[in-house]
Amino acid sequence: MTTATAQLPKSTKPVSLVTRWKRSTWIPRVLFPITILLFWQVGMQVIRRIWPFAVDVLPTPMEVVDMMWGEIINPFVEGKQAITRENLYLTFGRSLLRLGSGFVIAMVIGTIIGLAMGLSKAVDAFFHDWVMALLAMPALAWALFTGLIFGMGNRSPIVTVVLTGIPFVIVNVREGVRNTPRELFDMANAFKVPRNRATRHVLIPSLMPFFFAAIRYAFSIGWKGLVIAEVFSGQDGAGWTIKFYYDAHRAHGIIGYAFFFVIFALLLEKLVFEKISNRVFKWRPKTTDVALVEALFDGPDDAASATAAAQI
Amino acid sequence: MVAATDPDIQHTTEEQVAQQARRKELVQRWFWRILGYIFFLGVWEYGSGRILEEALLPGPTRIIKTFGELWAGGKMLDAFQATTFRIAVGFGLSFIIGLFIGLISQNRWWEAFFRDATLISLTAPGLIWALITAIIFGNRIAGPIITIVLTTFALVSVNVYEGVKSLPKDLVDMGKAFRVDVIGRNRHIVLPHLAPYLFTGVRFGFSIAWKVTVLTEIFSSGRGIGFEMRTSSQLFQMDEFLTWILAFFLFALFLEKVVLQAFENRYFRWRQGVAAT
Amino acid sequence: MAEIKIKNLHKEFGVGDDKVVALVDVNLEIEGDVFVSIVGPSGCGKSTLLNILSEIETPTSGTVSITNKGHAALPGYVFQAARLLPWRTVMDNLLFVQEEVTDAVRARCQKYLDMVHLGDKGNKYPGELSGGMQQRVGIARAFSVEPDVMFMDEPFSHLDAITARSLRRELHEMWKATNKTIIFVTHDVGEAVELSNRILVFAKGGVLKDDIQVDLPFPRDPSDEQVAIAKANVLKKFEELDLVAT
Repeated sequence: MTTATAQLPKSTKPVSLVTRWKRSTWIPRVLFPITILLFWQVGMQVIRRIWPFAVDVLPTPMEVVDMMWGEIINPFVEGKQAITRENLYLTFGRSLLRLGSGFVIAMVIGTIIGLAMGLSKAVDAFFHDWVMALLAMPALAWALFTGLIFGMGNRSPIVTVVLTGIPFVIVNVREGVRNTPRELFDMANAFKVPRNRATRHVLIPSLMPFFFAAIRYAFSIGWKGLVIAEVFSGQDGAGWTIKFYYDAHRAHGIIGYAFFFVIFALLLEKLVFEKISNRVFKWRPKTTDVALVEALFDGPDDAASATAAAQI
Repeated sequence: MVAATDPDIQHTTEEQVAQQARRKELVQRWFWRILGYIFFLGVWEYGSGRILEEALLPGPTRIIKTFGELWAGGKMLDAFQATTFRIAVGFGLSFIIGLFIGLISQNRWWEAFFRDATLISLTAPGLIWALITAIIFGNRIAGPIITIVLTTFALVSVNVYEGVKSLPKDLVDMGKAFRVDVIGRNRHIVLPHLAPYLFTGVRFGFSIAWKVTVLTEIFSSGRGIGFEMRTSSQLFQMDEFLTWILAFFLFALFLEKVVLQAFENRYFRWRQGVAAT
Repeated sequence: MAEIKIKNLHKEFGVGDDKVVALVDVNLEIEGDVFVSIVGPSGCGKSTLLNILSEIETPTSGTVSITNKGHAALPGYVFQAARLLPWRTVMDNLLFVQEEVTDAVRARCQKYLDMVHLGDKGNKYPGELSGGMQQRVGIARAFSVEPDVMFMDEPFSHLDAITARSLRRELHEMWKATNKTIIFVTHDVGEAVELSNRILVFAKGGVLKDDIQVDLPFPRDPSDEQVAIAKANVLKKFEELDLVAT
């Protein structure tokens, strides 16, 4: 941006409104949600006119905001009963507990298998195809399958989180082991640094970025898997609540909960992951968002397909 | 060096040693790979009926049998047709929209306008879209198609955007200098340059599209793989359910790894050695 | 100060097609606080020799002993790339290679950082420093273990000419101040003549071809007539040994 402005010939005339409009980047960014809201409102009006029975089904933006606000303040209002069985906080708490337990199991097992695969060619050949298959398997399949096997309750969502998250942990940890910096180990050897110190200062820090990527992927993919599992075999939790609104044909409930989801994911990213990442990777030159997007698509093949798989 | 009367003879033996080492490694790799297959399939077969009831976890042999039955009944082909059609239409539309957005995003203003749309498309779970479109459109085909478009267009647009941004200006200028006309320039310079980017977009987009399609069919459809999965799971027919999952999984894997890969190898041979995306 | 004895050293890599002979029957003795340069075309095994001396690699046959008054000598190493831990600060990189961390050791590390003019950069991460500064940290790290013998593998080849020149001067001063045995691998004859007492010439295939004494007063200025003549003489020897073409 600075270069673009620098190239402009210096003129004494103030920049005209049109050019300013064209050059600004925040105006279109603000315009985007406004356009969407406008489309939404107008679209509703049009559809209702030609399709009168759709009144209950189609939510207006205001309905969604009302619903969300109601959920947020619900526990703090005396005597007000929640529409769903439990209020927003309990629901998310329950889901988070399941996510957490599944996540820990996936991290432990995945790290062990990933380390073994990175260290031994035989183990790698043994597991490779099955890990790739697991990676490509949609969370939906696990959700339905575990739902049928374990029935309603905690087990199906937790096992789904484990099964969807584990291949991401394995792939990342394996890559980390394979990319250990040999030249730094040689350096440590040349200086006769003791083995445990080399492990602590060379091996573990070099694994950290991969480990951290594993945590992020496993978390975001596990979260999506968890919700799908709760849709099919939950008796409570975020997924169940969404299903509840779906069965009640209340689209505003679904959209509202979708927003809670996005907000929750953003909070987690900004307040937890980014903080940890800044602490752990203080030594790294700062990467911009652009570089991150590029990294998404330039990774090695396994990692790239992992990224694609993480979307759903 | 070691004294050798005939260097040629020594060379061959050394080559043989190296070849043997390589062959040994390959054999070892395949040995462990096959062992892996035997182990996992064996655990599955053994677990069925022993660890879990057979009704809950039918073994691989049972599934192969069910597959044969479903195929013979014509049900398989019908479901595949329905799903493939939805994916084709949905992803085709998504591709056109993604291409359009990627192209106009060369303008900073439009890039900013669509930035959040891209972000939402890349992060919002497909389940939400599937449910909302199911409520609004019911059984109509619009549901799955809109869901596919919303979840995949950003993968195409991001790649197109990157591709156009990195257009080799020097080559285009070279074309101009040699008085190659616009059509020739587009055909021989711009398109070959963009093709790999488009291809990456298609590959990632497709891997999401098929999962999303099945998801929408679970909630709102009278035909297709997802519908069959829902039916069999509601009727508690685990063997059919698993067969559907595996059949579609293998189908998608086949399209992704064999068809797209073959296409890529054929048309992007010149890119070998350049970072393989 | 160290005493280095190399007898019948032989080294090869790989098997079959990939077999490469790196060093052939090398015999060598180095003693005292000398600065020895090893020069030769790329692929002459000079880096391999250094790796064997510093025990990163083991010889195929032959013996190597590095002692200091009968005890095993303590080595220091400067690599072609700085090889710093990117996730540790400059000071922690120096402390990483120390036997133990005490206040005295800390002070010693600080002293060597000061010597390479990076005394105020102890809390920076390597990623925040320029290439020349990173190599300076690498040199300070090698000196900070107070080694008996110092191995350097083309430490200035990645740097621009001006930075390399000032680093050469610093290195020379540190050598004079600390009395170390330094084994210095380079492909730059000028660099070797400017810095060393003794130049070992290797030919392709890992054969030690010549052992040249350079008896000129230090510090040597590369633009000085004497130094230029010495350099020309070494290059002439190269031609006689038919090394220039390869």
